[in-house]
Parts: sequence; structure tokens; C-alpha cells
Amino acid sequence: MPAGTVITFSLDILSAIVALLTSYYAYRSNRLVGNSVLGAISVGFMLLGIGLAVDAGTSLVTGKLLVEVPMDRALAVLASFSYLTIQMVAYLVIAVGYGRATYGSAVVAAPAVFAGWAANLYGFSVLSYFVVLVLLAFVVFQGFLLRSGKSHGMSSILLLAFSLILVAHLVLLISVLTLGAGLYLAGIGVQFLGFLALLVFVVRSEVVVPR
Amino acid sequence: MSQGEKQRSVLRINLDILNAVSDEHEAKPTHILYKANLSHERMVKYLDDLTGKGLLAVKQDGENRTYSLTPKGVGFLLEMRRAEAFVQGFGLNI
Repeated sequence: MPAGTVITFSLDILSAIVALLTSYYAYRSNRLVGNSVLGAISVGFMLLGIGLAVDAGTSLVTGKLLVEVPMDRALAVLASFSYLTIQMVAYLVIAVGYGRATYGSAVVAAPAVFAGWAANLYGFSVLSYFVVLVLLAFVVFQGFLLRSGKSHGMSSILLLAFSLILVAHLVLLISVLTLGAGLYLAGIGVQFLGFLALLVFVVRSEVVVPR
Repeated sequence: MSQGEKQRSVLRINLDILNAVSDEHEAKPTHILYKANLSHERMVKYLDDLTGKGLLAVKQDGENRTYSLTPKGVGFLLEMRRAEAFVQGFGLNI
């Protein structure tokens, strides 16, 4: 099996575990606190975890990276479609959660614009990474906004995590546009660093120092 | 309460009371009143509620009344502190 596939599979699986862990803690906190943004974060990270697991599975089954998947392999194309869609919906849920908290419920109508997306995997990949990029930029912007507006805004480590995932998707978008496997691996690597920062945040919030 | 001051949620007030009790081994009502920033009437209502839920235990010694956390209260407070750390990390409030 090519090294690139092994790296993608490993990093995707580890990132998926962190995403599902974050989803669980958001769900648990939401049960105690009852905050709709936490609900969105929980659902969003659960979808992200599933999406990353699908991507890892696709890499393992096909032995190829997303940018190398040939168009005529129906299963691989379907799996890639699923991953990109799940990922897009996941970030959409998180962004809408933050948007509703800041701007009210009117923001939910915004994403209904993408009806005429490209019918092939390549076009869909480009569109998906672009949409995720915009959504992540929105989440990072909201994070900075909350940070400047409150005594305790989004934590630095969490902001770093979202920023790294944002940079990763910029690299992934460029890799899809240029069909560069090396860049794709770099993007997956940066994304993993983002999830690593997320893990640090989750662990730190669990280890509460008694007063 | 001033107009600019945001009203605290019931959960926030309960958490402030549990934290106030947790500060002392056995907390007097005056300590809770001061730490949780409540009127006497509201404090009594919340303390009765928390006692009824089994999170606080009352000890009456003559005219002195003190409150302490029950094991259930200690567990709940720890869970709430974890949730608070997680929620605040995302820039949200309880």
C-alpha cells in the first residue's frame, strides 16, 4: 500500500476520533447547560467524525488519495461524494449554530444557495472545499468576535484549532485545483494538527482544577 | 439590577451557590448570600431547591444553620465545572 494512503488513513482516523470525542463532550455539556450552539457543535463534530472515517475507509479500500481517485470507480466516487457532503454539512451546522447565536435565526436561510453545483466529483470537490473554507472562515471570525466582545471569548487553543483546520482546507482546495497529491497530504497533515489542538482543548476542559 | 447587567440563568445562580458552599466546609447563609450575590428571599428559595434535589445538606445547630455539599452535590459541581470550562472555551456562557 502506498505511503500516502497509509498516512491519510492514519491521520483521518485519529482526527475522526478527536472529532467524535469533541462531539460527545459537547453533547454531555449541552445536557447540563442546554445551549443550542453546543447542540450544533455536537452534531457538527459528529458528522465531521463520520466524514473523516468515510474518507479514511475510501483511502484504505481504493488505495488512493481523494485527488487520485479515477472517475469511473463508482464506489470511490460515491464515498468521496459522501465524505465531502458530510464535511460540508458538518461545518455548516457549526457555522449556523454560531451564526444563530450572534445574528438570530435569519441566518439559517443563507446556505440554500448551492443548488447548481457541478455534477462531477472534481467540480464537487472544488465546490465543497471552497464552501468549507468560507464556513470555517466564518467560525474563526466569530471566534475572534466573541473573544474581543467578552471577558472570556473562544479559548486561544480552540481558535488555533479552527485556524489550522481553515489553513488545511485552503491547502486541500489548492491540491484539488492542481491535483497535487503532495499538497493533499500536507493539507491532511495540517488538518490533523488542528484536531490535535482540539484534543488539547478537550483534555484541558476535562481536567478542571478544584477551587 | 442595572439595565446593562445581563440576568443570570437559574443554572448560573445554582452554580454560584454550590461554588460558595464548596469554598467553606460548612457554609453559613451570610457567606452564600455574599458570594452568590442574592437577596435573602431568593437565596432561601434556591437553597430549598438545591437541598430538595439532594445536592446540599443542612445542619441546624441551635440558631445556627450551615450548608454543605452532599456527595451528589460534589459530583454535580465537578460535572458543571467541566461543562463550564468546555462551554466557555467556545466563547459561550452558562
